[in-house]
Amino acid sequence: MATFTSNPLGFLFKTRAQWQAVGALADSEYTSKLLYPIIFALGPCIAWYYGASKIGWRVGDGELVLLTPESALHIVVAFYVAMLGSLAVIGYFIHWMAETYGSNSSIVKGIVVASYTATPLFIAGLIGFFPIFWLDFLIGILSLGWAVYLLYVGIPEVMRIPQERGFLYASAVVGICMVIFMALMGGVVILWDMGLAPVFVDA
Amino acid sequence: MESKLPSPQYNYTVVRQFTIMTVVWGIVGMAVGVLIAAQLVWPALNLDLPWTSFGRLRPLHTNAVIFAFGGSALIGSSFFVVQRTCQAPLISNALAAFVFWGWQLVILLAAITLPLGMTSAKEYAELEWPIDILITVVWVAYAVVFFGTIMKRRSHHIYVANWFYGAFIITIAVLHIVNSLSIPVTLTKSYSVYAGAVDAMIQWWYGHNAVGFFLTAGFLGMMYYFVPKQAERPVYSYRLSIVHFWALVSVYIWAGPHHLHYTALPDWAQSLGMVMSLILLAPSWGGMINGIMTLSGAWHKLRDDPILRFLIVSLSFYGMSTFEGPMMSIKTVNSLSHYTDWTIGHVHSGALGWVAMISIGMIYHLVPVLYNKAKMYSIPAISVHFWLSTIGTVLYIASMWVNGIVQGLMWRAYNSDGSLTYSFAESVVASHPGYLVRFLGGSMFLIGMLIMAWNVWMTIRKEQTESTSAAVEATA
Repeated sequence: MATFTSNPLGFLFKTRAQWQAVGALADSEYTSKLLYPIIFALGPCIAWYYGASKIGWRVGDGELVLLTPESALHIVVAFYVAMLGSLAVIGYFIHWMAETYGSNSSIVKGIVVASYTATPLFIAGLIGFFPIFWLDFLIGILSLGWAVYLLYVGIPEVMRIPQERGFLYASAVVGICMVIFMALMGGVVILWDMGLAPVFVDA
Repeated sequence: MESKLPSPQYNYTVVRQFTIMTVVWGIVGMAVGVLIAAQLVWPALNLDLPWTSFGRLRPLHTNAVIFAFGGSALIGSSFFVVQRTCQAPLISNALAAFVFWGWQLVILLAAITLPLGMTSAKEYAELEWPIDILITVVWVAYAVVFFGTIMKRRSHHIYVANWFYGAFIITIAVLHIVNSLSIPVTLTKSYSVYAGAVDAMIQWWYGHNAVGFFLTAGFLGMMYYFVPKQAERPVYSYRLSIVHFWALVSVYIWAGPHHLHYTALPDWAQSLGMVMSLILLAPSWGGMINGIMTLSGAWHKLRDDPILRFLIVSLSFYGMSTFEGPMMSIKTVNSLSHYTDWTIGHVHSGALGWVAMISIGMIYHLVPVLYNKAKMYSIPAISVHFWLSTIGTVLYIASMWVNGIVQGLMWRAYNSDGSLTYSFAESVVASHPGYLVRFLGGSMFLIGMLIMAWNVWMTIRKEQTESTSAAVEATA
């Protein structure tokens, strides 16, 4: 059962060793690791549901801003689906490019690599319990930087290719992540327009 | 082309001048940018003086980075590329010198008039009519030198980089002349000949194609020469480069109306602009794919070549911002993103990530060639510059994304009685942390530019004899 998930702290403190362990897995062993994103993506959702509907935030010295529980629920469900969907797409592209960079892979392996890379973001997502704008912003940027670092360290290790080639591979993955992120931003705005806009509690 | 040493009859003087001024104007323009970014964080930096206020310095920043930095990079590199690929010297050294000094005069006049508040009030075309006439004269001289050299070429084929440079030169001439038509009132004040929505449409036809042809087609020309050169590989697909050239030039010109969504512009024109912007993704990505695939074969050189990293990352940002642009042109998305910092973030992912990064790669490639040195003075300094630029750009874009979404959401939030939830000033307060991060990102980018200036200076100054450069080679 211990192989269900990997220790997320390992990616934070023993980065290289942890990636090497992931790279040493047999192809069939990756499937069980899919539970990792399914479980860990729940964390930010719960945190933000609670933070947005129960704690709320203030802009400047304005009034407390709260989402209605119903609206917050809709949004975090969409958030969960978007997170897993993005990881699946990124994972697919990691797999798709593997051959170009002289490695081999499977879609599942790609998704697992993408999910492990997102570890700092899953952990940082818990900041939703403390919806303080500048703090969340800072933690968000730091964790994003950490995730990019994980990717650059991880790709050559887990795909077992030379560093230089791994750098190109990881850069291509970052490019795809940015494009997906922007597609998400655009998608979110269109969803808002179609009726999934956040509903605020009137003070 | 085959010989390692440059052929002596080529005019490298004007290329050297433009290359050095690219570095200088890059630093000046970005320093002004960092200053106005700081003004948004600490408004006291406006100093309560009219000529140091944000409203006057902002056009100075945009003109300096686009036309002084970008313009010098484009004109300089095009003079280099056209000579090398046509195997012919420039047709007139005197006219080339006129282009250089004329362009510097334009920049100088801009730097004087804009802080004084003399402006036509057209974004990216703020300069008043006497300067506009000077620009036209200099630009025509530039076109004569460029196309004249192509006509006198010794190679049979016109290399694709020259196609892009040529499209850039012709289109900018047309855009500049049509958009700047005005009725002078005094020496320093004029009014556009167009009125109302037509004026707006002409302005954004100009404005968007300044992006499309100055900041895209021109720099694609640069990409098509320097990427294969630095990677020491042929272009991945020459056919793709031709196809995406024609697609790009025929589609870009239609995209301007997406700057005028939900305005007095007729609705059909807005929708047409949106559709054309969406189609534009394909030719834009054609260039990115061609560049990245050319570079991908050179991965083994990456270890000791940070210049290649600049080129790769610039193409990634190009791909990203040309995806973001069509998406932001969708009316639904635009209704949230327009007038927010998201737009500024989008511009800078193109301007810092693509335009500046590929120019920096070009400079690092070109300076040793122009000054007969084996390589740049310090390769580790290029690496440091690379990381400063990349992280700086990411900080800049990320902070503007967050700010843009926050502003867009706050502006459209309303209470159950129909009144607005937030005042404008409240959205400014909410933007404060993002402005601080943007200032930090911009500062990092500027520090990188200063490191480059030092590196270029040391490369030019150093008496690099054959033996010392060989010693450097041995220890590296």
